[in-house]
Amino acid sequence: MIPIHFEYYRPQTVRQAVETYIRLLQEKKKPLYYGGGSEIISMSRAGDIHPGAVIDIKEIPECMVFEEQNERLVIGAAVTLRQIRDSRMFPLLGTVSKHIADHTNQCRITLGGNLCGNIIYREMSSPLLLSDAQVLFFGPDGVRRALFTDAFQLRMLMNPGELLMQIHISKQYLKSPYRYIKKTANEKIDYPLMSIAALYDQKSWRVAFSGLCASPFRSLKIEEILNQRHLSPLQRAEMVSELVPGQALSDYRGSSQYRLFMLKNTLADMMEEWEHV
Amino acid sequence: MSELRRNVQRKESWDKVTGNAKYCDDFSVSGMLTARILTSPHGHAIIKRIDTSSAWSIPGVKAVITGKDFPVLCGVLLRDRPALAIDRVRYCGEPVALVVALDEETALKARDLIQVEYEPLPVILDPADALKEGAPILHPQVGVLFPDVKDIYPIHGTNIASHYQIRRGEIQAGWKACEYQVEEDYYLPPSDHLAMEVRTARAQISADGKVKITTTSQAPFSVKKQIAEYFKIPAGQIEVHVPLVGGGFGGKASVMLEILAYIASRKVGGRPVRLVITREEDLQSAPCRLSLRSKIKLGADCQGKIQAAEITYWLDCGAYSDIAPNMAKSMASNGTGPYYIPNLFCNSFCVYTNHTYATSYRSFGHESFTYCLERAMDRLADRSGIDPLEFRLINAIRPGDLTPTQVQCTPSNTGNLVACLQKVKDLAKWQGTAPIKIEPNKVRVQGVSCLWKSASPPTNAVSGAMITFNPDGSLNLNTGVVEMGSGNKTNLAQILAAKMKLDISQIHVVYDVDTRLNPEHWKTVASLSGYMAGNAVCQAADDVLEQIRTIAAQAFECQKQELEIADGMVFIKNNPNCYLLFKDIVAGYKAPDGRSIGEPVLGRGGFMLKGLSILDQETGKGKPGPSWTVGVQIVELEFDKRDFTYRLIEAYTVIDCGALINPQAISEMIAGGMAMGIGLASREYLSYDFQGVLQSPTLRTYKLLHIGQEPDYRVGLVQTPQEDAPYGIRSLSEHGIIGIPAALGNALSRAAKVNCTQLPLTPEYLWSISQKGQA
Repeated sequence: MIPIHFEYYRPQTVRQAVETYIRLLQEKKKPLYYGGGSEIISMSRAGDIHPGAVIDIKEIPECMVFEEQNERLVIGAAVTLRQIRDSRMFPLLGTVSKHIADHTNQCRITLGGNLCGNIIYREMSSPLLLSDAQVLFFGPDGVRRALFTDAFQLRMLMNPGELLMQIHISKQYLKSPYRYIKKTANEKIDYPLMSIAALYDQKSWRVAFSGLCASPFRSLKIEEILNQRHLSPLQRAEMVSELVPGQALSDYRGSSQYRLFMLKNTLADMMEEWEHV
Repeated sequence: MSELRRNVQRKESWDKVTGNAKYCDDFSVSGMLTARILTSPHGHAIIKRIDTSSAWSIPGVKAVITGKDFPVLCGVLLRDRPALAIDRVRYCGEPVALVVALDEETALKARDLIQVEYEPLPVILDPADALKEGAPILHPQVGVLFPDVKDIYPIHGTNIASHYQIRRGEIQAGWKACEYQVEEDYYLPPSDHLAMEVRTARAQISADGKVKITTTSQAPFSVKKQIAEYFKIPAGQIEVHVPLVGGGFGGKASVMLEILAYIASRKVGGRPVRLVITREEDLQSAPCRLSLRSKIKLGADCQGKIQAAEITYWLDCGAYSDIAPNMAKSMASNGTGPYYIPNLFCNSFCVYTNHTYATSYRSFGHESFTYCLERAMDRLADRSGIDPLEFRLINAIRPGDLTPTQVQCTPSNTGNLVACLQKVKDLAKWQGTAPIKIEPNKVRVQGVSCLWKSASPPTNAVSGAMITFNPDGSLNLNTGVVEMGSGNKTNLAQILAAKMKLDISQIHVVYDVDTRLNPEHWKTVASLSGYMAGNAVCQAADDVLEQIRTIAAQAFECQKQELEIADGMVFIKNNPNCYLLFKDIVAGYKAPDGRSIGEPVLGRGGFMLKGLSILDQETGKGKPGPSWTVGVQIVELEFDKRDFTYRLIEAYTVIDCGALINPQAISEMIAGGMAMGIGLASREYLSYDFQGVLQSPTLRTYKLLHIGQEPDYRVGLVQTPQEDAPYGIRSLSEHGIIGIPAALGNALSRAAKVNCTQLPLTPEYLWSISQKGQA
């Protein structure tokens, strides 16, 4: 059980949500925006966090929207991983969501929750880093629009009280060729030892990583190497894995050396697959 | 006999699959208080100060208890463990304080306000470090405080809680006869039981001092004795209740939470208290599986016959000894595996460290030493140039051979390992040692391990059975065995049905154990319930049959020998028309003329282990358990040579079950053991940092085997009856786990061309040893 009392709010508009948040913050209630709750519930149960209030955003229309508008796909922050997968609107994003947690949790975990939560892998960020996605926040000053690559620097950078409201993805990327490989230490369902997402844009591949380092990232330098098609996949993979050392994550899921070993193989595999695209 | 070989559904199945089954924490009691524990964040530290005043100030708090409130030492063998830590904590997760409050929320709020000041001490996490000169001594009083404990040999002034040795033959002469030798070091980290039902306990004390404890225990009678002893209460004042238990695997045989529940209730005037333990606390604070370090030196002559072995086991029992000294004894007495080794020099130490303390775990340490021993066996087979399965056949223990403790093997007491090995060869289509290439980077490979196990019960362990009747003539079977998913109650009902020549639907079993009502059964552990309680059931059945015959002989005015009993009736053999139904006779018989004959039939059967002895301290000679169960296991897997991942395809067990009872239930029990063995071997371990803090305290981080990762399970049975067991049925419930880690280690060592000496066998581990260029 969650052994603490907390207040529960379910606002109908973004403005209400943000106002509630600001008020609760002033009342020192340590409020949290609440999407699927999977992380808030388990961390509260374990006593790692003690929110005095949660603000459920699942009745805010802007956060629930999931449709193509003009030339963009608009995904509300409260859309679940399962919805994203089932819709097939952005296959790379759907593939990534398929590899997070189990079915039960995929039906709960939301896009916003995965991006803004405390668990470091935030795997849903990779496709967004690759697709020039835009992110819409709603804060005390109204809507703020940013490039996802600017707003996501190791984690989501948000102003106090701001709510991640929507992600916008330009249609041109939705059906681009993609590849996704996720490696775990041993399990079918687990956090990634590393995952690599790749999206083909015009004539080159864009690549983002999760689990490899302390935070998901996209590196133009790495992409430059990986796109040197005159080199063999293994050569390119080795060059890349020499760039990462020191930054590779080392934890009980895997040592940094092992991650680098896996990186080489996984990249080589991925580049082999590129040949077939 | 026909009742025995039949597949029967477990008696409790319908309740379980419909969710009607009730477990310890499912019963609500009005006015019940809730208790939560505060645990140590340090692996080893002095408690300098505990300030509970703020915790007391929360409305609804009924008690805040610390170690000094109940300065009693507990422990089933050595009394080395305080109920709550006093002055010193010895593992991370050790209970330091207990809060009792109106509800859980209040208890937690108060718990978080308790201030404890610690002074960290050096942490020992490896038996090798614990035995080094100058290592901190975790229990300075051991060996002094309870010097007269039988069969336990603590060494005062060291971290050794007990020591056993086996000396047989002439070890130096043995080495001279050896053509091939291997010498290897092994290390197995601790892991946990993770029964689906989290451990918990409740207690209340009535106004006249009667203590009622309800618990998730495999050992209700032991709970009663231990509470009586620690708190100096007459045992008759204590009643222990155990409803269905949701899996035990040995982890619920230890008495810990019952003590906490009892002191909690004591502190609040006897009000009922429910101790709430979370999954995370269950993992970290309640006892886990042992950790093991070992050194094994084996030698074989030019024919591949093992001539000598020098074996040392350092069992890491963690912070407190609990039942671990007996596991160290068990490792000494069975630590050669099921092989005859004429010249043997074995030491087994039980060593304290700052790990969570260990208790019995499915197979009582056999799964751990078997990994080490069977890895060494494979290495020696390779060195001798003999196929590993063949090598095991050459050395398999046979009738006439002596076990390490010098018990002479007979088909009855040890079964037939040779037959198991021959059978598994066909069942698994043994392919030998060479990996078979199936894809450019993939090979298919098999690994084999033998197994054996004997129990190490107290030499005077007892069991009992009572039988009463219902008006329809059906029987109630009442034993002290706990039903925890292993199907014991159904097995016993099946034995009774066979004895009574009756359909099993006519046998009703009592699930819950209440120590006032059920006859004592030592503990539901060691795979001994079928043997011990089964013998008691047979005796109770004989008692019932005799009483029925006596009444019927009077009713029919015939001799008892003329009577036959079957299908719920007693009849004259030569005149089956002359019969009486159970329902008309088991409450005493009322003759047609109104005369009453006989009295109600009440069956009783008692059983006490016989012929066991404690081991000689010098040579280890003695008889530790009633019999051995032997078998052999093979796993087959696909290995990816490039990234060191693997997928299990098949897992086989051929085991000597003595005689067959409920064949499908046996196969499932063994498959369950194999699954647990695969989990243990491939992923499960408790990972500690240098300060002794558990790094994997949740099921997000502590990984278990999941559906979809399992191989096909195949089971073959050999039947060599055990003469003193009911219907010849051998002890068989833990065993499926024992050889699996070793079989997996053997298969992966061949596939990856490495020498696996640890667990778990993760892809990273295989990769890392391949980098070191081993093998």
